[in-house]
Amino acid sequence: MPPFIRVSGLSKSYGGVHALKRVCMDIAKGEIHALCGENGAGKSTLIKSLTGVVIPEEGTISIDGKPLPPGNVQASEAAGIAVIHQESTAFPSLNTLDNIFVGREPFTAGGLFLDKARMRGEATKMLKRLGQNFDIDCPVIELSVAQRQMVAMARALSQKCEFLILDEPTASLSAKETDSLLAIVRQLRNEGVTILYVSHRLEEIFEIADRVTVLRDGERVDTQSVANLNRSALIFLMVGRELEELTQRHEHAGEPGEVRLEVLGLTNPGVFENIDLRIQAGEIVGLAGLVGAGRSEIARAIFGLDRYSKGKVKVNGQMLTGGSVKQAMSAGLSLVPEDRQHEGLILPMSVGANLSMAVLGKLTNRGLVDPRLERDLVEKLMSDLLIKAASQEFPAETLSGGNQQKLVIGKWIAAKPQVLILDEPTRGVDIAAKAQVHRLIRNLASKGLATLIISSDMNEVLSISDRIIVMREGRISGEIRGREATRELVLDLALPQEKEVLA
Amino acid sequence: MNFMSRLLRQREYGLTAVILIIGASVAFIDTGFLAAGNLKDLIIRCAPTAIVACGVMLVVLTGEIDISVGSLMALLAALMGMMISETRMEISMWLGLPATLLLGTLVGAFTGALVTLGKVPSIIVTLGLLTALRGLTTLIMGGNNIDGLPDGLGQMTKYGVLGMPISVWTAIAVIIVTGVIITKTALGRRLFAVGSSRYSAKMVGLNETRLKLFAFAYTGFLTGLATVVDVPRLPKIEAGIGIGFELLVITCVVVGGVSISGGRGKLRGVLLAVLLMTMIRPALTFMDVGESGEKWTRAIQGMFILLAVITDSIVQRRRKRRLHDL
Repeated sequence: MPPFIRVSGLSKSYGGVHALKRVCMDIAKGEIHALCGENGAGKSTLIKSLTGVVIPEEGTISIDGKPLPPGNVQASEAAGIAVIHQESTAFPSLNTLDNIFVGREPFTAGGLFLDKARMRGEATKMLKRLGQNFDIDCPVIELSVAQRQMVAMARALSQKCEFLILDEPTASLSAKETDSLLAIVRQLRNEGVTILYVSHRLEEIFEIADRVTVLRDGERVDTQSVANLNRSALIFLMVGRELEELTQRHEHAGEPGEVRLEVLGLTNPGVFENIDLRIQAGEIVGLAGLVGAGRSEIARAIFGLDRYSKGKVKVNGQMLTGGSVKQAMSAGLSLVPEDRQHEGLILPMSVGANLSMAVLGKLTNRGLVDPRLERDLVEKLMSDLLIKAASQEFPAETLSGGNQQKLVIGKWIAAKPQVLILDEPTRGVDIAAKAQVHRLIRNLASKGLATLIISSDMNEVLSISDRIIVMREGRISGEIRGREATRELVLDLALPQEKEVLA
Repeated sequence: MNFMSRLLRQREYGLTAVILIIGASVAFIDTGFLAAGNLKDLIIRCAPTAIVACGVMLVVLTGEIDISVGSLMALLAALMGMMISETRMEISMWLGLPATLLLGTLVGAFTGALVTLGKVPSIIVTLGLLTALRGLTTLIMGGNNIDGLPDGLGQMTKYGVLGMPISVWTAIAVIIVTGVIITKTALGRRLFAVGSSRYSAKMVGLNETRLKLFAFAYTGFLTGLATVVDVPRLPKIEAGIGIGFELLVITCVVVGGVSISGGRGKLRGVLLAVLLMTMIRPALTFMDVGESGEKWTRAIQGMFILLAVITDSIVQRRRKRRLHDL
C-alpha cells in the first residue's frame, strides 16, 4: 500500500540558511506520526509546506497518491489537510462560529448569503464530538487556551480533515487539559484521521505516537517506530549527542545560606490563601502545581504587581508594603514573567538595549545614558550568560529561541537581584536551550542567588529544584526535598483530591 | 450581565441613552426641538455622514483607516460641477453623475492599492491624499465657484420624493446593503477576520489585499454617492466643501464602538453615533448658546471621542481581568 502522505526531496531556504534540505518522509494512513527536533530544525517549515503557506524550492508532496500543488492554502485544505498551531491561530474578536467557518462559509441556495442555521448545527455537532460545551457566540478571546484549541480542532473536523497536523498543541495546557487532548487525538485516529504530532514534550510522544520522524538542522535524521526507542535514544537523535544534565538529578552544591525571601500567610481570597515560603541564599525552590493553582498569581503578588489582602513579604529581611514593584526591585527581587514574547523582550531592539533596559537608570551620567557603561555591562552579561549573538547591536529577534530566553533572564540579572522568581523559564524552548538555561540557573544559585521557579514541566521541576513546593487550588499542599521527589509524589499533591464524605 | 456592564460593553445601549437624555433635555428647554420640521432637518443632515460612515466602518474593521473622504468629496463635487453645470461642460447629468461615482470608486481603489500593494500604512496614504486631493480641487476650480447645476437635480436633492430628499433614501439603501454585507455575507465575515488577526487570516487562505481593496473602493464609491445626492442641495459648489468631514466620519465610527485596531464593531452603533454627532449642533441652537455654537459643537464632538476611547479601555481591562480570573 502506498503511503498516505509522501514528502520527497523537499528543500527550502531563507536568505541562504537552509530550513529544509531534501527532506523525505512517508506517513501511513491512520497513524499518529510524531515530528521531533530542536527549535530551528525545520519542523515549522515542513508544516507550512504541507499547508501551502510556504512554497518549497524543490521537492514534492503527495496525498493519497495525488500531487499537492505547492504554496496553495486552499488546495491543501481541499485535500483534507488541517493544522492546529501552538498559539492557537484564531480570530480573537470573532466568535466560535465564525472562527470555525471563516474562509469556507456555507451558503444558502442562492449562493449569496451565509447559511447560518447550517453553521450553527455543524459547529454544535463538532464540539459535541470533542466533548465540549461552551457558548459558541462568545468571542474566542474570552475562552481559555484549551477551549480555543478545541475551536481550532472543530474547524479542522468540519472541513472533513483527513490529515491533521498538531503543532505543539499542549504547550500552554495544564496536565489535565493535556490528557483530554491526547484522548481526543486518539479518538480521531480511531475514526481514521491521520495525524502528524509535533511536540517538545517527549513523554507525550511516547504515550501517543506510532512512529516518530526526527529532524535536525533541516535534514531528516531518522524515522523509527516509537516502540523501538526510549527517551535518551530519541534525545540522542534530536541533539546528536547525549545530554546528561537532563537525565541527571541536580544535587545542591553547598549548604544554603541565610534567608533571602520570606513570605508569611500571603492571602488573596479566591486566588491563593495562607502561603508560607522561605528561600535561602543559593537555594533553588520549585513551585509545582496545575495551571490555575495560583502559582503565577503568587509571584505577581510578591513582586508587587498585584495586591494581596493579608500576609507579609520580606526580602533580605526588609518588609515590603505590597503593590510596589519599585520597592520590590530595590530590595533585590526580580521576576522573569511568563509571557516572555510579549512582556519580556522588545524583539526589534538590539540585544544590548534589551539587556540594559531594566537598569538604564543606573547607567546614566547627568541624565543621559552613558554608552560606555552600557556597553561594559552588556558585554559582561553576554559573556556570563554565554549569549550567542553576532554582536550586541543585532536585533533580539535574530537570536535563536534559547538565546532569547537567556536574554530575558539576563535583563533581570543585570539588576543584580538576590532573589529571582522565574515563571515558566523554558516554555516552548527546545531541549538543548533548556539545558543551557538550567545550567545558567544553577550557576547563578551557586553564587548565592535565591531562586523560585514556577514550571508546569514536571521534569524541569524535578531536575533543578533543591526543594519542591506543591500547590493545589490556591493552597500549599505539601513540600518535598529535591532528592526524595518523584513524579508520583508531586502529582499526588497537585491533583485535586476527592471530596471527603462527611460523617 | 448587570446593567452597568451592559451599558459599557454594548455601545448601542450607552449611545441610545445619551441620545435620549440630550433629546429630552433640549426638548424640555424648547419643545420646538421635537417639531416635525426640525427632526426632518436632522435626518437630512445625518444622511451624507451615514452613507460615508458605512464605507469607512468597513475600512476600520479591516484594521486600516481612511481620513481622506472630506477632500475626496470636494474633488468629486468639483468634477461633478465641471461636467454637468450649465455654465461649464454641460454634459447630461445621466452621464455626469455615474461618472462621478466611478471616479470616486477609482480613487478609493487607488488608495487601497497604495495601502495593500504599496505597503504604506493607510494613515500615511490617506493623510497625503487629504492634502493632495484638496490641493487638486483648488487647482481645478481655479478660485471660481461653480453654479448652474441642472434644476431637476436641485429639486431631487432639496425636496426629493415622498417628502424626503433623495439623500435620505440613498442613505437608507446604503445602510441596508452594508448591513447585509456585514451580517449575511462571507465577504463581511472576512473583513472582520482580517482585522481581527492578519496572521490567522493568512493561515486560512483569505486574500487580505482583495478584502482591503474592496473596503477602500467601497468607501470611495459611497463618498461619490454622498457627493451626488447631497452637494447639489447647496446653492453653489465651493472648494471648501467637506473640510473636517473626514474627522466627523471617523468620530462616528469610533464613538459607534468600532475597534480602531479592527475586527470589532456594529453598524447599529455607528448609525447611532452619526445621529448623536449630528444632533449636537441643532441641540446647541435650541439651547440658545448663540454665536459660539460652532465652536462648542467641535468641543463636544471631541469629548465624545475621548469618552468612547475611555469606555473601550475600561471594557478591555475588565475583560483581561476576567480572563486572568479563569
